[in-house]
Amino acid sequence: MEALRVIGLRKVYGSSALAVTALAGIDLSVQPGELAALLGPSGSGKSTLLLCISLILEPSAGTISVNDQVIYDNAWTGLDVRRFRREHIGFIFQGHNLIPFLTARDNIALAMTLNGTGDRDARKRALELLEYLEIGARAEALPASLSGGEQQRVAIGRALANEPPLILADEPTASLDTDRGMKVIELLRRVARERKSAVIAVTHDERMIAGFDSIYRLKDGRLEKDPPR
Amino acid sequence: MDLAIKDVQRHLGRFLATIAGVSLLVAIVLIMNGIYEGNIMDGVWLIDHTGADLWVVERHRGGPFNEQSRVPENAYHSVAAVPGVVRASPFIAYTVERMVGGKSQQFTIIGYDVFGGLGGPGQLAAGRPIDQAHYEMVADTKLGLRLGQQVHLGVHDYTVVGLARGAVDSGGNPLVYLSLPDAQEVLYQLDNEAILASRAAALQSLLRAGNTPAQAERLLPLLAAPTDTISAVLVRLAPGTNPTVVARHIRRWLYYNVYTTPQERQLMLKGRLRKMTAILGLFRSLLVLVSLVIIALLIYVLTIEKIRSIATLKLMGATQWVIVRLILEQSLLLTLSSFACAYILVHLTAGRFPRTLVFLPSETAITFAVMLVGGVIASGLAIWHALRTPPSVALGG
Repeated sequence: MEALRVIGLRKVYGSSALAVTALAGIDLSVQPGELAALLGPSGSGKSTLLLCISLILEPSAGTISVNDQVIYDNAWTGLDVRRFRREHIGFIFQGHNLIPFLTARDNIALAMTLNGTGDRDARKRALELLEYLEIGARAEALPASLSGGEQQRVAIGRALANEPPLILADEPTASLDTDRGMKVIELLRRVARERKSAVIAVTHDERMIAGFDSIYRLKDGRLEKDPPR
Repeated sequence: MDLAIKDVQRHLGRFLATIAGVSLLVAIVLIMNGIYEGNIMDGVWLIDHTGADLWVVERHRGGPFNEQSRVPENAYHSVAAVPGVVRASPFIAYTVERMVGGKSQQFTIIGYDVFGGLGGPGQLAAGRPIDQAHYEMVADTKLGLRLGQQVHLGVHDYTVVGLARGAVDSGGNPLVYLSLPDAQEVLYQLDNEAILASRAAALQSLLRAGNTPAQAERLLPLLAAPTDTISAVLVRLAPGTNPTVVARHIRRWLYYNVYTTPQERQLMLKGRLRKMTAILGLFRSLLVLVSLVIIALLIYVLTIEKIRSIATLKLMGATQWVIVRLILEQSLLLTLSSFACAYILVHLTAGRFPRTLVFLPSETAITFAVMLVGGVIASGLAIWHALRTPPSVALGG
């Protein structure tokens, strides 16, 4: 079973003479437990690809499957997009995007309650996740009082909350120094291995790619995979 | 998990400060309500507390409160003889501005027949009713007088023998009750210079008319302004008597205008009080509108501050209801807390107001409902903005 399979994905903005091709036939396959890096300069189409896989932006053509479930086949397949996102995709953001008025524990529990888990269960499991991420002691702290690395760990915990098969990380190390950035990549690698989630991380930081299983480079809307090292 | 409450807890100080501001606005709305109703109550207090069934006033006049009315004092004897009338009493009312209790105060003097006539102060808060023909008074507590205090009015001193509470005229001025002759004396009393000037003018008129000086001197007292007039005759009817029939009789045979007490009330409400109540009503509506606009803006700003969090929630798959609930709950929390604070504040301070405040439960309930519905509508703009925000806002730096 593939965690993510993308075939011939195209995205064209505008029409006729003004049309801009952001994605020109992307093929991508990510296995459960795989940590994949998506590299590319600004304007290469990284964000567009991420938005299409996240079911936020409708592609122009192609096929997207998550866990062997086809969600786009030249058109949306009619599934409940919000529900699918809750159950199948976890997000990690560049700026962490923790809800500022919720504690670390509540930020993680929120993702579970949105998916129908009861408050009590959600808070219990959120604490377990924080302990797994080695920041259990900071469970009741608000995001503002957490360091950048701690905030990113909470964000990872939130992405893992509903045990999704696919985690999308948008520049997860951009706001961290090299050491902390490396630790986050190591953590993502551990998460991918132990939780069997596929993690696709968008980055333009070449220093971080050593820890990834596979590296994809986007250039002018086309995707190339680096040969295995 | 209640996101609205969590957000409020996180920004408690700011939220309380907002509630304080909005509750002051709502308090003004409630006070306006109180003044509006108080104005109506004050306006008809005197009419409701005279115990009269009919008001006999000068012909073609809308007196005695909406328009000045002068009726000869002895007219009440003729009215008393009309079939169906069990009591007819002389009554005079006029507003003065005099030094009382060391400061200049405006009040209305009521003159009535203290020996069983209508129009007296009724139940007193302290002391006793007037039982002497002269030099005693009953005053409303608003004047700040105490029992036994001497008050100088005109050329005499009057002793406060009783205190009434809530006895006011249509403008909210306190009432002072005097015996009819005393009230007439205070009203018509002229100082010596004015008397001399008036006599000299009258004398000149008589001389110009061809009278000799001796004749003019003899005729002079006849030209003096009458001082035995009253404002109205108050009438109480026998049980079962049709007031319309008695009123028609008095109009036809005695040539006076007659109003029943409900008509006199309407005259007051539609005449003197109409403009004031209309202005208060307008202010009330404007204040409610301003409060709702402020609540709408506050909720909008609170939502804009959270727009990235809202986008993150959407990206995480939160339903529209989660977003709507977050905004709506805060709006309602703000509206309801502000209303509760305003209600408490107004009821704690109502006694210190210079005007009578009357809070009708129905008025308060309507204001509450308007604020509640308004609060929901006011959050519409913020909800619309939040629902339009794409989840992609959460991505990127």
